[in-house]
Amino acid sequence: MVIDNILAAIDVLANTHAFLLMAVGVAGGLIAGAIPGFTIAMAVVLTLPFTFGMSPHLGLATMVSVLVGGLSGGLMAGILTGIPGTPSSVATTFDGFPMARNGEPGLALGIGVWSSFCGGIISAVLLMTLAPQLAQIGLEFNPWGYFMLVIFALTITASLAGKNMIKGLIAGALGLLIRTVGEDEAAGMARFDFGTDALLGGFDFIAVLIGLFAFSQLLNDVRDPETAKKSLTQQGNIRVKIEHRRAIAAILKRWQIVIRSSLIGVFTGILPGAGGSIANILAYDQAKKASKYPEKFGTGIADGIIAPESSNNAVEGGALMILMALGIPGDVTAAIMLGALLMHDVVPGPSFINDEPVLAYSIFISFFIATFMMLGLQSVMLKVFVRVTRVPMYVLASIILGFCGIGVFALQNVTFDIWTLLWFGVLGFTMRHFGFPLAPMILGVVLGNIAELNLARALAITTDLTPFVTRPWSLFFMIIAVFSAFFPLFQGHREKKKAWTLFYLPLACFAIALPLFMMGGTFRPVLATIVIGFGAYQLWRRRQNGWRFEAEEKTI
Amino acid sequence: MERLNRDAVIAITLLLFCGVFFWASFDIRTPNYGVLAPSTWPRVIIGVLTFLSLIYLVQSLRGNPETVTAGKSDREPGIRGWVDHWRNPLWCFGLFFAYVALLPVLGMLIDGIAFVYVLMGVLGGWDGKKPLVHAYVSVLAIGSMWSLFTFGLDVILPTGMFMDPF
Repeated sequence: MVIDNILAAIDVLANTHAFLLMAVGVAGGLIAGAIPGFTIAMAVVLTLPFTFGMSPHLGLATMVSVLVGGLSGGLMAGILTGIPGTPSSVATTFDGFPMARNGEPGLALGIGVWSSFCGGIISAVLLMTLAPQLAQIGLEFNPWGYFMLVIFALTITASLAGKNMIKGLIAGALGLLIRTVGEDEAAGMARFDFGTDALLGGFDFIAVLIGLFAFSQLLNDVRDPETAKKSLTQQGNIRVKIEHRRAIAAILKRWQIVIRSSLIGVFTGILPGAGGSIANILAYDQAKKASKYPEKFGTGIADGIIAPESSNNAVEGGALMILMALGIPGDVTAAIMLGALLMHDVVPGPSFINDEPVLAYSIFISFFIATFMMLGLQSVMLKVFVRVTRVPMYVLASIILGFCGIGVFALQNVTFDIWTLLWFGVLGFTMRHFGFPLAPMILGVVLGNIAELNLARALAITTDLTPFVTRPWSLFFMIIAVFSAFFPLFQGHREKKKAWTLFYLPLACFAIALPLFMMGGTFRPVLATIVIGFGAYQLWRRRQNGWRFEAEEKTI
Repeated sequence: MERLNRDAVIAITLLLFCGVFFWASFDIRTPNYGVLAPSTWPRVIIGVLTFLSLIYLVQSLRGNPETVTAGKSDREPGIRGWVDHWRNPLWCFGLFFAYVALLPVLGMLIDGIAFVYVLMGVLGGWDGKKPLVHAYVSVLAIGSMWSLFTFGLDVILPTGMFMDPF
């Protein structure tokens, strides 16, 4: 069955047209990822309008290619200029740039490219094997569980805004409210149209995304008149040859770092809201902690490039896994992928892999193919990158703003969508300026109708609200939503050594064990027992330390 | 102090926004079918948003550093300083506004080229060979994108009054 699906997907993608589109996608992604200020999400969202005329298989394969290219593109700028191309390659600069300055830019790039490749392949394998299993679990969800899953996704994304959590939550709620404009899907009644026909159809989701993310980012990039006139590098010709052989040897010697960092990447990708920007720092930190020579980190060692690069490429496998299995986007780029699927009338969810196996497996396969293409195209695109870095930012921004207008109009052939792009661009720029994170807002826009539809379904079954706490999956997501909401407070108070923080982790373990027990079967109650044991152990350790965190602080 | 006031102003604006939307939610018709009325979900969100905005307001008035926006402004005081500081984004907004407003008249091709050309001039300057280079870049970039959508993807883009007869 799985083999049949894989073969059917290969059959769809094994043609010159598909390969060409994917190669263009990877190349475009590599360049977009390499230019500081142009995020991967921006590259993926700008690709969307081009794909609407394609079949879903080809359109999604192209977008996955842009995504894979973008994830790897950041390392070029980070290693050669010291400026990370994307937030997901920040940690790559810690050792990549020093290695390049020490006279080994070719080796640094080679290690970065091959680490990205390994992270991508490990992630793709896990995506293919775990997504169908996760979808099986997703089939157990009922409307109450689904509703709470959306609430959890929004809460955790907002909590990742750290000190600005309240702003994150406000942004998430604003996103949900924006989604309610227009006819509601359940009853077909007009909402917040303010008497205009244009608002009756609501805001086009893609126009909102492009406005909030791409348009506002471009305005941010050209805000300073002097910076806008500068190009990324004035260095003239950068002549580098990627040293593949030495890079492969260096990576094979450090295979544990590759595996560990890739797993960190996949896990971070599965968490809604957490993305490559967190994974690369986390993997770098773990590699440093596990190293026999942590003092050498930051001086230009291979370990410091392998860890962030393999983790940031592995992130998207995790994000796509939760998107395809549960229909919940793991991060902003996955949210855009969800938009692409919806544009092609495909609704991802637990039954998606069973209902649309060829499409689902074509996404898996395109992830694989794009990772291989990235390896081959990196050397070629390095030359293009050097040329692009000489173009002033204002030229790039002006052209892309022009492209945004054409692309957004092409979605539905409606001028109102370009107005939407403009107003949401202004809103996004203003929100960025005032320190409001945009990721929760985008997830709010994406998940708004999923939450409402599931709430409507739940209330159609019974108007009783107790199933939100008596159904195991609903209770599970409610508990982790509450604990993730308190996480930033926990972090802040832990530094101030407040007593209640000692009980946060043990209490979280005990609370999570309850719905796991309620789920029944054999595995989950056993897992619940282990979780309770872990919580009790944490409590015991704190007691042994005289109700202090001290012992853990040494390791953190 | 200025930042605290700014956060408080944003919070009050958000509360006013919630008020407008809550008022508008009474215009939503309730059909005699379905359990969840079309106005319920928006009202729940407005309720949550109001509650969060109130917390934000209280935090900003108390001067809680967690709500204060990071970074210091380097702009000169007064309206002139403000306009100077935001010159480029204001140009982008204004020109994009003009671009969308003129779309039915000029059409996507001419309007797009004009928008990119003027924006590049405004952001990058008009000195030396720049006007020529900008003209070349804008025609090439928008022309190729217009061609791709028109001929490659069969999208009917607005032709405008001038191109309409063709």
